[in-house]
Amino acid sequence: MNVAVSFESSVPTPQSPFKRSRFGRGKRTPIARWFWEIDRVLLLLVTILIGVGLIAVAAASPAAGVRYSGSGVTVAARHYFWMQLAWTVIAVPIMLAVSALPVQIARRAALIGGLVFLALLALVPVIGSAANGATRWISIGPAKLQPSEFLKPMFAVAMAWLFSLRARNPGLPFALISVVPMALIAALLMKQPDFGQTVIFASVWIVLLMLSGASLKLLGMLGAGGLAAIVSAYLFYSVATERINKFLFKQGDTYQVDRAHATLTNGGLLGTGPGAGTEKFTLPEPHTDYIFSVIGEEFGLIACIAIACLYLAIVLRVSLRLLREEDDFLLLASAGLVSQFGLQALINMMVNVGLAPSKGMTLPFISYGGSSMIALSIGMGLLLAFTRENPHLKEATYTVRWNGR
Amino acid sequence: MNAIAAGLAPPRDRALVKNNDSVRVAHYRLMVLMLLFALMVGVISLRLLYLAVFDAPDRSPVASAIGPRADITDRNGVVLAATIKGISLAIRPPRVIGDKERLAAELARLFPNRSVDDYRRILHGRRKFVYLERGATPAKIHAVRLLGEPAIEEVPEPKRFYPQGTMAAQVIGYMDIGGVPVSGMEAFLDKRLTSAANGGQPVALSIDSRVQAALESAIRTSAEKYLAVGGAGVVLDVHTGEVLAMASLPVFNSNAPGLVPVGTDPLRPDARYNRAVSSVYELGSTFKVLTMANAIEHGVITDFGKRYDATAPLQVGGFRIKDDHPENRWMSVPDILIHSSNIGTARISEEIGPERTQAFFRQLGFDRPVDLELGARGKPLWPGFWARTTVMTVAYGHGIAVSQMHLANAYAAMVNGGILRPATMLKLPAGQAPQGKRVISEQTSYRIRQLMRLVVEEGTGRGANISGLRVGGKTGTAEKNLNGRYIHSSLVTTFAAAFPMDAPRYVVVVTMDEPKGIPETYGFRTAAWNALPAVKNVIARIGPLLGVIPDPSKDIDVSDLMPFVYKPEKKDTGVHAID
Repeated sequence: MNVAVSFESSVPTPQSPFKRSRFGRGKRTPIARWFWEIDRVLLLLVTILIGVGLIAVAAASPAAGVRYSGSGVTVAARHYFWMQLAWTVIAVPIMLAVSALPVQIARRAALIGGLVFLALLALVPVIGSAANGATRWISIGPAKLQPSEFLKPMFAVAMAWLFSLRARNPGLPFALISVVPMALIAALLMKQPDFGQTVIFASVWIVLLMLSGASLKLLGMLGAGGLAAIVSAYLFYSVATERINKFLFKQGDTYQVDRAHATLTNGGLLGTGPGAGTEKFTLPEPHTDYIFSVIGEEFGLIACIAIACLYLAIVLRVSLRLLREEDDFLLLASAGLVSQFGLQALINMMVNVGLAPSKGMTLPFISYGGSSMIALSIGMGLLLAFTRENPHLKEATYTVRWNGR
Repeated sequence: MNAIAAGLAPPRDRALVKNNDSVRVAHYRLMVLMLLFALMVGVISLRLLYLAVFDAPDRSPVASAIGPRADITDRNGVVLAATIKGISLAIRPPRVIGDKERLAAELARLFPNRSVDDYRRILHGRRKFVYLERGATPAKIHAVRLLGEPAIEEVPEPKRFYPQGTMAAQVIGYMDIGGVPVSGMEAFLDKRLTSAANGGQPVALSIDSRVQAALESAIRTSAEKYLAVGGAGVVLDVHTGEVLAMASLPVFNSNAPGLVPVGTDPLRPDARYNRAVSSVYELGSTFKVLTMANAIEHGVITDFGKRYDATAPLQVGGFRIKDDHPENRWMSVPDILIHSSNIGTARISEEIGPERTQAFFRQLGFDRPVDLELGARGKPLWPGFWARTTVMTVAYGHGIAVSQMHLANAYAAMVNGGILRPATMLKLPAGQAPQGKRVISEQTSYRIRQLMRLVVEEGTGRGANISGLRVGGKTGTAEKNLNGRYIHSSLVTTFAAAFPMDAPRYVVVVTMDEPKGIPETYGFRTAAWNALPAVKNVIARIGPLLGVIPDPSKDIDVSDLMPFVYKPEKKDTGVHAID
């Protein structure tokens, strides 16, 4: 709730030392209001993450450059870094702008966007372009756009909205209704094929079902169903069979996994130092899927642990704030967005450290990728928008703090 | 509150919301999810720590030593071959960031082997990597660093270094420019020196560098004095088969193997050639000791006083066997060896017969290359047809050619109690000597020791008698044989000795290639004049070094043979051609 409230209800300006400040709590300019309502700690964590991502892409860029240089084509050593920097310059304002949207507008935009990208996703098999053995992208001029990346945050918002309607229409089978878009998206994704994204969408859907009060029986059934789905995917879906075989039995071509392991461990605990990595040049996708390994080689496994903790901090920050959140939709939407974000990071890191089969999933805000950067910014912008809080509401509580303030 | 409000309009009152059951369930489940997520991050962190501890590349000195080739040392740990850091300087023209004109001039100043124009062509050319200098000196590397040009690379290239220079060069061998071992123990030990399992541990050869130095110095002194074209020598431990020294003259430096000329004359192989194992020679009268051993072993000789007719050359078919310095009398067994009588030896071999002669020499390994770690082992020239004359000539070392190492091995078996052991170039752990196989009995071996000692006390080996070191041995002189034809002007002289004869420990064999007669030797050039002094020199130097204390009170008892040694009434003061 209540972000909306803060926009409507104007609080009398207190006479305070902040008076003359542009961002004083009393200022009523839109920017000042945005600044005081936004979760500044979350914003700081995301900023750090983007900074880390730029350094990581700078480290991985020469390796990727060598990889994608061929006869006639020479990719400059820092090409991917400059590209990523350019995308960041575009993406950060988008994130800030989205974070400033009023909740209703943000939600409506997300719902409409969700429909648009669902349509685009459906069109991928028709107008998409293939790369690395999968058709996931739609080329728009020089840029390539992956609809599923954009659909992800919007799907979370749409599902949150759907489940938040439950309270108003207790009789309707919302869980059953939500199966329809979920199944549609899963079918489209598996056709590409994109097993990893399917797992993310399904996980977000299950998390939202869980938070919206689905019975334990239903959740148990879903858990069993998920297990059955994975087993049947292993049995009947060749890509999954291959990947899981590789992971479990080290069968077949484990080159990628072996290279990732060699790169990750080459630097030891403290790393070889920036630019001193050597194994990264043998990695198939140093700047995207396996950037975590590149960080491990050059900055040490201690840096990898720090990054894992950074993701944990973001998830905890949002979740702890949500424990105060009373509004169904905001709670569900924020939880959906953050779990989607955290889960993607988790899976990528697990693949890199050899705890999960390789999936072709990027590390949010760290991996290179233009359209993915924009999509993530939109998702994070929505999250920031949904977690905005009127600072005066907190102050208005009549509780006595232990320090007497 | 109601979800309606959330969706459509802001709720009016927060208090209402607090009672919402579904929100409380959501909060509860959110906490569970949070914990799950934290747990997963914990698992990832633990996995990362695990990787850091157990899977990080091992950078300990032991492990990193796997890369460079391990050292080769002598039996006492003296380094014979080591791997040192070498730096080569190279340039990557596409990466040059400075002024190419100036850089070309600077390079021409620092590396004058190419001109400024050459460097300009390189810098503007298409080549991506050009060596400026292999194995650059620290001063050159420093000068290049001062240029501040990042396109110049210092390429680490491990370099093989032989700190002892020419010492035992043919044994150690050498590497070609690409770091591939070409010969010697470098080639034999290649896998072991570079394998990870070995862990960079140095490999100890059986060579004792002190003994090696004494042997090389003695052979060189002799070769220079007697104008020999080459020489070879072996010092062998008779109880273990370890080769304490092996020398071949002329020498080369393993650090620069290309500096010696390539030999084209088949009679004078080049310096990289190991004459001790690769050359096969007719070793002449040194074989008489082996023939005697065979005869004693098979009961052909039971009475050492039995005399053989050496009054006149022996005519066998169209072949005449003469003595080099005829005694023209009937000779006892000790006399035959002392005076190196071909006729007497031939008569004894006649009694042994072709089968037993062949069997014995086969037992000693004279029909095949010697059993040793070195490559390029010479293949003996084994008689194709054993006529009556063949048996007779082979008995005194003609008509059969073996390497010096063959002879040293056989002599070790003759004196050590009768056990033939394979020789080795690797240091054996104490008490790990190979079992070996018996070729003659203890008693026969004892008799041979007596006879060898008598040769030095009374006969052709007199010059090798060193007070207290109890040397025994046998001389041997033969003509070089090229493609089946004897070259009368080219002699190969050998002295094979063992000491101390009361309890033999070492065999020393020295061979001189084409020694010449000099005024000091009255023009003579047989073994006693040139190979023997070298052996005497070696034994005198290494005896005390190896723990054989000169002791005049000790010696092997030869008194039972003395009655059979012919003593002329009048001491002969004339100079003999002795052999």
